[in-house]
Amino acid sequence: MSAIVITVDGDRLPARAGMTVAAALIAADRPELRRSPRAGTPRGVHCGMGHCFECLVTIDGTPDRRACLVEVSDGMTVETSR
Amino acid sequence: MNSSTLSFAGKASTGHSHAPSKDPGVEPFSCDVCVVGAGAAGLSAAHAAAACGTSVVVLDAFPRPGGQYYMQPPAAPLASAKAMRQVTDGAALIAEAERAGARILPGREVWGVFPGGGQPERGTSAAAPSDAGGFTLHADGDGGAVRVTARAIVVATGAHDRVVPFPGWTLPGVMPPGAGQRLAKLSGTPPGRRTLIAGSGAFLLPVASSILKAGGEIAAIFEADNRVLAAAGIVARNPSIWGELARLARPLFRAEFEVHRGAVVVAALGDDRVRAARLAPLDTSGTPDLAQTFEIDDIDALLVGYGFRPHVELTDALGCTHDFDEAAGGWICRAAPDTFATTVAGVFAAGETTGIAGSRPALLSGRIAGLAAAESLGFGDTSGERRYLVERRRRPAAFAAALATHFTPPAGLAAAITNDTVMCRCEDVTAGEVRAALADGADDAFGAKLWSRAGMGLCQGRVCGFGLARLIAAERGIDPEEVGFNTPRLPLRPVKLSTMQAALKE
Ligand SMILES: Cc1cc2nc3c(=O)[nH]c(=O)nc-3n(C[C@H](O)[C@H](O)[C@H](O)COP(=O)(O)OP(=O)(O)OC[C@H]3O[C@@H](n4cnc5c(N)ncnc54)[C@H](O)[C@@H]3O)c2cc1C
Ligand code: FES
Repeated sequence: MSAIVITVDGDRLPARAGMTVAAALIAADRPELRRSPRAGTPRGVHCGMGHCFECLVTIDGTPDRRACLVEVSDGMTVETSR
Repeated sequence: MNSSTLSFAGKASTGHSHAPSKDPGVEPFSCDVCVVGAGAAGLSAAHAAAACGTSVVVLDAFPRPGGQYYMQPPAAPLASAKAMRQVTDGAALIAEAERAGARILPGREVWGVFPGGGQPERGTSAAAPSDAGGFTLHADGDGGAVRVTARAIVVATGAHDRVVPFPGWTLPGVMPPGAGQRLAKLSGTPPGRRTLIAGSGAFLLPVASSILKAGGEIAAIFEADNRVLAAAGIVARNPSIWGELARLARPLFRAEFEVHRGAVVVAALGDDRVRAARLAPLDTSGTPDLAQTFEIDDIDALLVGYGFRPHVELTDALGCTHDFDEAAGGWICRAAPDTFATTVAGVFAAGETTGIAGSRPALLSGRIAGLAAAESLGFGDTSGERRYLVERRRRPAAFAAALATHFTPPAGLAAAITNDTVMCRCEDVTAGEVRAALADGADDAFGAKLWSRAGMGLCQGRVCGFGLARLIAAERGIDPEEVGFNTPRLPLRPVKLSTMQAALKE
């Protein structure tokens, strides 16, 4: 897989084309993606297959995208809500 | 891929897969058979039905077809995955289905299904059998919004990890084994630098093996079941799987990590992410002995799961009957063994949706369902081939069933659920709140949801449903079966209001 660069919360991170956004963040040792709505506790990837909605992040300006389903692309911008 | 085989039920073929769209953004399709799920079962159903001459559309939520067992790594394959037979076998299945004329539409998650022409009856939240015949399915995703009208449906939506909450399970880094498997196999990324794997089921081993291949480290594997000898007996009686087991086990022995038995994770520890796990041995009743806990530290990933549970949202929304079979995954869709027809006319179900059995039985049930669906629409007599397939499915299905009885989640897991343990991750509902709801008079899954909001979030109880049933059953001293399960509400997955309006218009 070819090496690309994505921007996560303003930081440029290396990634490989085809990996999911969730994998790119975990590979970069950034497991926390958001805070839970009521208790405000840290959350990261849970089911890894699109059905729990724990991994919601903003991708290229679109909020509430599932990081475990979307594949990275060069120049992609990801914002977590941690 | 031959889209010209698609035609609308009862009408002459237009020669096109779809008519010009009246709602911009929602692409309409018409076909004889719509298959939901492009995994082992869905792909073989699609292939079989299309080969009988029906027009077939396959919808799948993931960006690529293949489902779980046959998941297809991205365009530029991982070096380690390239050689994997599962990947090449999966690619062949996909190609065969397309060659037979099935139109596979990945990146389309089904969020609604209605009987007949597609108009939901006012006031109903789910579809019910209709005399009008046929169904309309709505799906959305990165592939684009679609509306599919079909004369018959095959639901092959697979399964997901069966989890039971424990204190700390919401910490980043804590996931079910399936999530670790997808990270490692699809993206070549281990779930962490050093992973602890625990729970129950034959699946834990292949997950460990994938993580090693992806460059991760395994701290340990803990299998809850400690009846090693009985498990060895099942294996001994089924020589056909020796080769597979040996292949799976090889990397494990090479890495020389320990596989322990008879203990379960009772807490994940860490501040902002998981850093350690607390485990406890199981007593003879399958209850963790909290007086004898021990810790494993220096981990940054913790995978805990107790097998799989079928995705039955769609079959439930369609009004199909479901049965409870804990070893087969809990609530499973009832299907006739020789047709895989559900209790609703025109709806077939195949693969894990009808009970957890693994990839081989899923391939066979998919084929049976595809043939039966085609036959039900007047495309020939498939009974001879179906009889043969039912026979071929018998042994692998029996093997899976025998193995599964070994890996049912320990009976007393709920004992580790403290009052401050989050049960419903979506709504942050704690076990204490659920227990309070039970004390107030809630007595089943539905009551607990109304009282406490547990299961009311975006995941609709897919994640917490099993654990919640276990907790309620333990508190009330009843069977998990009696707790029931919550019927999904439409839309089954969140969908933009504008998309929903466009899809339902007309
Ligand atoms: C994460 C995971 C990993 C697994 N890995 C292995 C393994 O390594 N070895 C093994 O033997 N078994 C594995 N299994 C067991 C696996 O379930 C079966 O072996 C096999 O994949 C079953 O085939 P299936 O067609 O029934 O379901 P699946 O292969 O799961 O296919 C179901 C498909 O339905 C789709 N779907 C579900 N809901 C919707 C919806 N609403 N709209 C559109 N599409 C939908 C999913 O995206 C999925 O592609 C795994 C299971 C899981 C959950
Ligand atoms: S981790 Fe569950 S939806 Fe992405």
